[in-house]
Amino acid sequence: MSDTTMAGAPVRRASMIRTIASKELKEIVRDGRFAWTAAIMAILLIAALVTGAERYAGYRLTQEASQAASNSQFYSQGDKNPHSGAHYGNYAFKAAGPLSLFDSGIEAYAGSFVFMEAHKQNLALSPPAGDLSAIARFGDLNGAMILQVLMPLLIIFLGFSTFAGERERGTLRQLLSMGVSKSDLLWGKALGVGAAVALVIVPCIVAGAVVIAFLKVTPSGDAFGARLALMSLAYIGYGLIFLFLTLAVSALASSPRTALIGMVGFWAFCVFLMPKAAGEISKVVHPSPSLGEFQTDMQMSRVKGLGGGPPPRARLEIYKQQLLKKYGVKTTAELPIYWVSTSMQKMEEMDHEIYSYYYNSLNDAYTAQRRVQDNLGVLAPVLPLSSISMGLSGADLLHQNTFTAAAEKQRRLMVETMNGYLSKMAVDFNANQALTGNVSMETNVLVASEAVFKLVPPFRYEPPSLAAVMHEYGKGFAILAAWLVGSIALAFFTVGRLRPQTR
Amino acid sequence: MYALILRHETRGLTRTPAFAFILVLLAAAMTFGAWSAAQTLGREHRGAQAVVAAADKQRGKLARDVAGYERKIAASGGVYEVAAFNHGGGAIPAGTNAGTVGSTAVAPAILPQTGLSTFAVGQSDIQLSYIPVTSNSIITVTRDSELGNPVNLKRGAFDISFVVIFLLPIFILAISYDMLSSEKERGTLAMVLSHPISLRKLMLSKMLSRAAIILAVVLAAGFGSLLAVGSNLSSPDTWIRFGLWLSATLLYSMFWFGLAVLVNSISKNSSTNGVVLAGSWLVLVVVAPTLVSVLATTTYPAPSRFEFITQSRVVQTEVEKEYMKALDKYYYDHAEFAPKSGGEADFLATSLAKNDAVEKAMMPLYNKFRSQLAKQDEMVASFQFVSPAIMMQRTLNDVSGASAARYAHFIDQVIEFRGVWTKYFTSRFLAEKALRSADYRRFPKFEYREEPVSAVIGRTAPSLIGLFALMSVVLGAAFAALRRYQVASR
Repeated sequence: MSDTTMAGAPVRRASMIRTIASKELKEIVRDGRFAWTAAIMAILLIAALVTGAERYAGYRLTQEASQAASNSQFYSQGDKNPHSGAHYGNYAFKAAGPLSLFDSGIEAYAGSFVFMEAHKQNLALSPPAGDLSAIARFGDLNGAMILQVLMPLLIIFLGFSTFAGERERGTLRQLLSMGVSKSDLLWGKALGVGAAVALVIVPCIVAGAVVIAFLKVTPSGDAFGARLALMSLAYIGYGLIFLFLTLAVSALASSPRTALIGMVGFWAFCVFLMPKAAGEISKVVHPSPSLGEFQTDMQMSRVKGLGGGPPPRARLEIYKQQLLKKYGVKTTAELPIYWVSTSMQKMEEMDHEIYSYYYNSLNDAYTAQRRVQDNLGVLAPVLPLSSISMGLSGADLLHQNTFTAAAEKQRRLMVETMNGYLSKMAVDFNANQALTGNVSMETNVLVASEAVFKLVPPFRYEPPSLAAVMHEYGKGFAILAAWLVGSIALAFFTVGRLRPQTR
Repeated sequence: MYALILRHETRGLTRTPAFAFILVLLAAAMTFGAWSAAQTLGREHRGAQAVVAAADKQRGKLARDVAGYERKIAASGGVYEVAAFNHGGGAIPAGTNAGTVGSTAVAPAILPQTGLSTFAVGQSDIQLSYIPVTSNSIITVTRDSELGNPVNLKRGAFDISFVVIFLLPIFILAISYDMLSSEKERGTLAMVLSHPISLRKLMLSKMLSRAAIILAVVLAAGFGSLLAVGSNLSSPDTWIRFGLWLSATLLYSMFWFGLAVLVNSISKNSSTNGVVLAGSWLVLVVVAPTLVSVLATTTYPAPSRFEFITQSRVVQTEVEKEYMKALDKYYYDHAEFAPKSGGEADFLATSLAKNDAVEKAMMPLYNKFRSQLAKQDEMVASFQFVSPAIMMQRTLNDVSGASAARYAHFIDQVIEFRGVWTKYFTSRFLAEKALRSADYRRFPKFEYREEPVSAVIGRTAPSLIGLFALMSVVLGAAFAALRRYQVASR
């Protein structure tokens, strides 16, 4: 790999690389295969981006309208007891991820709304995939899928015969006899094949972006430009990994067909076999419960106490005795505070511990599973890439868990506000024996009106910042970088040992 | 001569390390697929068991309390009374109230696994196969889906169905993409054909020797997984399903062998064959199904779950205004605070009426989810012929019992059973008839009625016929094209 032949002539060296690259590019573009693979890629990529944009716009519209409708339903639910208001509850609808028009990630497979009600933390319900025919399990059509699955194959198709083909035709001997350094040869070839790939992909992305702009879909989110830049970086890195691997294998293989079959095999292993295998392996390493187990275990803890601790009912009784003692009274009716709402809130708080334990365990298991899959990225670079892509798009577990956590926080706030107001109403009522403010009394039940429900602020969901996303997926970037370095090194190694003929 | 070629090919293949490697990979993938599907189904089975155990325990406690109360009344000679709705812990056990029991005791409705469940997970990782039925509205009863990591659901199951649909064609193409071209490139073709054998017979024997070995591995692995997961082997149902699986896999495999022969017979060199076949695989197994999926789900989109929610709330509010006073609203949520005398019966009747009214108003939209799904499935059924992979997926989901049709059949029975269950308790509740411990043994029980296996055969028939037709066309075209094949270079 010594550059002695070109020593002191960087300009000539650059022009040599350029010559090799342009020859390679011309050869690829003139091949009939280029036209049809490019056409298929172009159609699919543009279709994916446009349908993605439409889906994103539709989702956002419905989500915003539904959240507004649900909020107003909660506020104007009619005059009732504040605690009844908390039972009526409200819904939290998940906002679309900023780049989910490009990568819809887990959106079809995760519940996108949560019912927030008194006493109960609910799961995010109804993943859209449950309403879809089984054929949807073949995969979604989106930009990410095209770039993760089809782009590597395009690179393989355009690059597999780079060295092996020249060797078979006998032109490799000619080329090497002209005194081209092997590293220049590699850079030139890489540049040529890379340019051909870019020639297909870049115009499609530009065209897609123009159509999206025309559709007036305005993606939003924290540091949108930076997300886009990181996303591009990850995909370019992924493409380069396949490019250099293809060149390495092409230099190593005895014939073009061996290079092709080897790379197609690797591609199928990486893109189709490994993601599913990694999913199954991660479930064994970090098991997660079925719905039946999750719900019955949680219910058991609510009745019997968490982890052998005292049952909530018993704890409530102790709390009651403490209160009675503190105020020196015999029955809860004599307490200066309203026992009904106080006890409900106390139960609520004891439930919080149980819910937090179970929901956190569940989400932690899911995240741990995903990390196992990322680590298996040492075998298939698509694994960390898909995680990074979903993360930057805002359609990943991190966003999902942030959303459900925000909904739970909102639920607790709502219940606490309503129980708290009920306590206040009761005390006021007892003190004044008269009704104040927004309160009326109907056959012994305290009734609140809209103004009381409006004490609960509307649900707000703050998606994870870019820094949080990068914190979660930094390791994935490192694995991708290692792959890139490894594949370039491999390419240099095999091209360095390039022989004009097979033994 | 024919047998000689076949024997020669087989011997040659089995001594090629690459071929042996592919066979090992295929066997390993099949085993891993069966094993991981068994894990997934085992987890679902544990979920069902947990629900059944919790339901039994809860019902057992209610029944014991009622029996104790019965003994007490018998001993004291008092009047056997009904507890107030959702009241517990007092002198009269909650289990005497039919309304309370109907809405809180759970009757699990279980969709059993078939003998071939491990062959395709299908949608069963999303659709719940154990539904806790109560007298609550059917919308609530059928609301939940199975719990799973969305990342894993997106990646999809690594089951036998995945191995057969995605990987098997790759293995087949890897061992046959250069069946003819490599002989030509090595220059051995002309020599072989100097023997008294036609090119078509040569290719047939090459194809059959490869197919026999590959399919032997698939059959052995399939049969092995049937034994390993402990399927009911004495049931003819299992064997019919296995037979359908085997037929579909055979037809599908022969389609890919046929495609390899076809491309070999018209194309120039091994590399081009490889590119064309890899491209065909991508188009038929990935691109076409994805496009048909987009077509079906955009032509018959599911109604928005968001809109369903907000619409339910509108109805709920309207109904509440119509039926309930503020007091009732409160007691509806907290019946334990409701006074035990006075207007209670009225309140309970109105709350039942309210539930009924909400459910009636929402049923059209609820049914639309199901009907759109059915229409999507019909559309996929008519577009399945564009890709053998779609035909395979439909067939394999059907033979394993994970098809949309079987799940709909299950949900129909759940809806029917929930009606029976509700009627049993509501009629007793409205008549203020106390539940006795003997009644607990007579509660309606959900028994899943399996669809006849003829229904499975009927549904898979179009796919199997389609696969057969496609295979015949490709094989016919391939062997016709071989007639025109130029053995010597131009």
